[in-house]
Amino acid sequence: MPAFAALRQFPSSDPTSETIVAVTPRKTRLRSDSDAAIGSPLRKSPRLCKEGTPHSSPTASIRKCLKTSLNLSGSPQKKQLSEDFVERQNWNPRDETQRRAANEALHVSTAQMNVVCRENEQNRILDFCKKCIKEEKAGSLYVCGCPGTGKTLSMEKVKVMLADWENEECIQYPDVLPINCTSLANMNDIFSKIIEKNHSGKKRSRSTSSLQQLQNLYSQQTPGMKMILVIADELDYLITRDRAVLHDLFMLTTLPFSKCILLGVANAIDLADRFIPKLRSLNCKPMVITFCAYSKDQIINILQERLRAVPYTVFQPQALELCARKVAAASGDMRKALAVCRSAIEILIGDSMLSSLDGPEDQHKPAENVSMSNQVRIDHVAAALSKVYKSPVVDTIISLPQHQQIILCSAVKLFRGGKKKDTTLGELNKYYVDVCKSTSIPPVGILELSSMCRVLDDQGILKLGQSRDDKLRRVTLKVDGADIVFALQGVRFFRNCLQ
Amino acid sequence: MAETQQMKKFKTPSKGTPRAKHPISLDHHIAPQTPQSATPSAINLRRSHRLTAATPEHRPALSSFNTPKSAAKTRKICEDPPSILPTETSINPASPPPVESRKKRKFQEKSAEKRKDSRNVKCKRAADRKVKKKVYHKKVVYDGGEFSAGHDVYVKRRSDASSDDEDPEVEECRVCFKPAGRRVLIECDDCLNGFHLKCLKPPLKAVPDGDWVCCYCVARKNGEVMEFPEPQAGKKRARTAREKLLSSDLWAARIESLWKEVDGTYWFRARWYIIPEETAVGRQPHNLRRELYRTNDFADVEMESTIRHCFVMSPREFANAADGGDDVFLCEYEYEVQWHSFKRIAEIDSNENDGEKVVDNDADWNSCDESDSGSDFNSEEEAAYENEKRNRLSQSSSLRPVAANSRKGQIFGLQKIGAKKIPENLRSRKQTDLEKAKSTLLLATVPKSLTCRDREMNEITTFIKGAICDEQCLGRCLYVHGVPGTGKTMSVLAVMRNLKSEVDAGSIRPYCFVEINGLKLASPENIYSVIYEGLTGHRVGWKKALNLLNARFSDENKCRKDTRPCILLIDELDLLVTRNQAVLYNILDWPTRPNSKLIVIGIANTMDLPEKLLPRISSRMGIQRLCFGPYNFQQLQEIISSRLKGIDAFEKVAIEFASRKVAAVSGDARRALEICRRAAEVADYRAKKTALSSSDASGKTFLLTGKVMAGMADVEAAIKEMFQAPHIQVIRSCSKLSKIFLAAMVYELYKTGIGETTFEKLAMVVSSFCANNGETFPGYDTLLKVGCKLGECRLLLCEPGTRHKLQKLQLNYPNDDVTFALKDSKDLPWLAKYI
Repeated sequence: MPAFAALRQFPSSDPTSETIVAVTPRKTRLRSDSDAAIGSPLRKSPRLCKEGTPHSSPTASIRKCLKTSLNLSGSPQKKQLSEDFVERQNWNPRDETQRRAANEALHVSTAQMNVVCRENEQNRILDFCKKCIKEEKAGSLYVCGCPGTGKTLSMEKVKVMLADWENEECIQYPDVLPINCTSLANMNDIFSKIIEKNHSGKKRSRSTSSLQQLQNLYSQQTPGMKMILVIADELDYLITRDRAVLHDLFMLTTLPFSKCILLGVANAIDLADRFIPKLRSLNCKPMVITFCAYSKDQIINILQERLRAVPYTVFQPQALELCARKVAAASGDMRKALAVCRSAIEILIGDSMLSSLDGPEDQHKPAENVSMSNQVRIDHVAAALSKVYKSPVVDTIISLPQHQQIILCSAVKLFRGGKKKDTTLGELNKYYVDVCKSTSIPPVGILELSSMCRVLDDQGILKLGQSRDDKLRRVTLKVDGADIVFALQGVRFFRNCLQ
Repeated sequence: MAETQQMKKFKTPSKGTPRAKHPISLDHHIAPQTPQSATPSAINLRRSHRLTAATPEHRPALSSFNTPKSAAKTRKICEDPPSILPTETSINPASPPPVESRKKRKFQEKSAEKRKDSRNVKCKRAADRKVKKKVYHKKVVYDGGEFSAGHDVYVKRRSDASSDDEDPEVEECRVCFKPAGRRVLIECDDCLNGFHLKCLKPPLKAVPDGDWVCCYCVARKNGEVMEFPEPQAGKKRARTAREKLLSSDLWAARIESLWKEVDGTYWFRARWYIIPEETAVGRQPHNLRRELYRTNDFADVEMESTIRHCFVMSPREFANAADGGDDVFLCEYEYEVQWHSFKRIAEIDSNENDGEKVVDNDADWNSCDESDSGSDFNSEEEAAYENEKRNRLSQSSSLRPVAANSRKGQIFGLQKIGAKKIPENLRSRKQTDLEKAKSTLLLATVPKSLTCRDREMNEITTFIKGAICDEQCLGRCLYVHGVPGTGKTMSVLAVMRNLKSEVDAGSIRPYCFVEINGLKLASPENIYSVIYEGLTGHRVGWKKALNLLNARFSDENKCRKDTRPCILLIDELDLLVTRNQAVLYNILDWPTRPNSKLIVIGIANTMDLPEKLLPRISSRMGIQRLCFGPYNFQQLQEIISSRLKGIDAFEKVAIEFASRKVAAVSGDARRALEICRRAAEVADYRAKKTALSSSDASGKTFLLTGKVMAGMADVEAAIKEMFQAPHIQVIRSCSKLSKIFLAAMVYELYKTGIGETTFEKLAMVVSSFCANNGETFPGYDTLLKVGCKLGECRLLLCEPGTRHKLQKLQLNYPNDDVTFALKDSKDLPWLAKYI
């Protein structure tokens, strides 16, 4: 029982982990299952309270998170998770190597050893590939999901696992051709790439196109031909105007002696249905696997998995949770979550630099305090999150030059009452001149006005339509009128104006 | 360039015909011959000549051929001067073949043993001059050789001067180690060694057409080991200057200017060439054997350390210089030593109307000035200052200047400036403060320090440093946005400049920096080839460049030779947005790959560009944003006053007025500077006018006792000029009839209260106007013509004139503007009562 031996070394400081350890694995599952079943409706309220007071003790919610992640990830995860509680060294952000290690662990390009939270999808893809290879049958699979949900990463993983499996089973390994469709100069190049990969030895006739060659190849029986596994990332870049390329690509897998397994990856859920309706009538609709956006538990899980590579405690648990919750609520984009974590680390480093500059006398603080200050706290994450998700509209409007503020003010007046949603630049100019006249400010000319509107358009405050004539360009407000009123009410001039 | 033109005369008449040119002893005339006919009787032959078996199009440098194979399309057949006896070495061709102009011949008179002790230096320019200053020369005859600005020379490396002692003049056969004698030496395209035809195995009868690679190189390519024969013991293989240069025992440099120091020694300003091995990327497969890179690195070198001329040519000249001898090199790119990036010389030169010439002219001018007019530099400090200024001049002309407005005005510190600077000493008199102010306020002038953007610059610095200081250099991406004229590009470039100085100091590892402006790309896809060219100095089509870059940034297994981090600065990022946004996707996807070591900095005006992009792209873009807000009036004031530091030309209130005006409208620093510059111009004009008039009146020329400063009135005038729309001017200056037409239009529109009217109605109004005020009504046709003309200059919006009376008309500008413009017209005072 080496596993248990390891498990027993937990620090006794954490009671939850001990309860998990004390029971047998089977029991644990039962326990956590029941916990999940019973606890889920109950969990809501305490969490909400906790979010309100972020500085309260985090352990309760974290415990639950861990348990749910246990449920999600299945039993093999348990042992690794338990390692979390082994006493870790304190992370020192001032140390170059430690900082670097943390940064590297959280960087997008660092591929993890094992992709957590996507086992299900991976297994389905893998099973599909195995089935196709065993039966020597062509097939197509379409993987969809939002950006940053681990599609490409999973495909990489599947590739490796497939190779392992083939080594075990001693089956002829198919050619694997990973293509990113964005890097194709011409969409038809995908066929020539396939044929190059598949038949590198054979001579190629120049007269027929690569597509025709492939079609010929797959419509008659040629013994001894290897399977080919095409992994096409960002498949929607193949959508041409007549959709011919995408269509032909999928049709290749329907040919009687086709040896092509096509794994397509893209964002759109219904790409195959929308663009290749013919496939359905042929009854070879590609199997669709959807990668859902990550939930907050999954994000926590992945972040912890990544941070396990670092032998230090970098994040406070509640800091990680805040990050995960925010990102999960907005997009579930793992890249965002990683970026937030990294920028939180940077903020911490900046802080610690400042404090070390400020007062060397702070050195003899209580040791506990120091260790706390060396972790990424919840406020660091909050600052990093605000960089991403906060809307800077009000600040932007306050810092605008006065004439641009006057333009916004006149636009608000114009749209007030809700009759009109948009106007032309000429109309806006009239209002603007009126406002200026009423307060005896010399108005600027219409050319100047249109260039100011363009600046506002660049800042995302106005929307300027296209028109040949400057005066006829359509103007719409892109921010809420109330925001503008709120931002401008500090100045008496505008307050009078807007009354 | 006289040499190369001469050479062109000897270009092979037809492709592939081996033809020998026989550099001859001094007095012979030059006769092209085929190698077959190169009978020993012939003449005192020069050692080497090259044949082009290929037409110029086959030159890789000129075409899109990229393989190293095609890079070796030159062939050289070497003939040696017949039996150069040791005694004859005095006339040994130390120089390139005498195919050149008479000037070159003279140059050849220089004795081959260029022992530096025989220093018979004479100067062509007037000798009687004050000793105590530097004297610039156009041409210097030094050691028997004639050097002038623009020539290329070999320069000794001081470190191992011993290796320069051997005479590097004669090329030997690589097999028998005898000088070529009368027999033909053939040059291998790969290793550049010369071989006697008969020494080869199997011996060649004649020089073959096309490429020829020696058997040693062939063997090496096939993986066999075939050593070159060793020379006999005690005899060292002579190495030519070319060989030494290519093994970096010598340097090559271009003479930018020549001068005589105070102590009588001759110096020149050298612009170094480097061999591909010395660049950051090392020798690439596409590099020709004889390829050099021009750098932007300058140094002052004593004439003493030069060896002799070499000839660095552009690809076209190189292709045409069929027979340039052994000292011919090819240079297509300029290598920026600080950024490790490559730029085409042809592009640089075409962009600046032949900048080299300008430098030369400057040199001429300077030397003239100092020799003829007896300049007023008396102390050495001033001479040094002058020199420094010249350096700056030549340097700035070597980099690519850019029109001021396409680059958002000033670019901090990199001297890439649009307007060419007129040398200060062209002005005979001292500049007044106003003139100084005018020149410092130019957008093109580089400010000494960047104010008001410290926070942003710090942020950029930490961003870049955080990436490049790490060993593993994680890729990352920064998006910089802000309204125009708020110093975005300038700040980034200033940061890069600071970092560069840190690299020089050795505190950070070197990196490469590629700077791209989206506006300058012919199409968004072209960015791939621009990036690739910047990184490797090799131009390929964008499709190929995309594949190569993909391989470069994603290949994790193969350890690349070039492991430096790469910083990519893309200005005007929003122009790269294509229909399917594939370009941006690829560029922003690279940093997310393992081991990419790529840092992307994008600059654009749009704040919400990432949100406008596809979600998959904004997901890859990361969250690093940096906003440059518009300047407020204090900041603008500070910017202007920091530029005007030490120049007493503006009243303080005037500056504040200008900055407040601009800050209220746009907060654009460029605007503020323009207004102030214009105000200075107005004030200057005023000052000169008063001076002129007073000198006319009283005959005295120096009435400028009261110092003229640009004040509120001048700023006001400048602002009026800038902010007032041009249509007012147009209306004011248009013809009488047009004015009546416009007035009638305003009247009619006012009366009816509708936005448009027809020509028929308008004509009625005009005729009534004319009848009431004693003007003659010109008739419908003329009136229609007037209307169409006003429509053409877009004062009116009108339907085509074919509709005659039914033509609909509309004012393009607000009624008030037209009224304002017409109100006080002198020739038609009665108009005022109608409007």
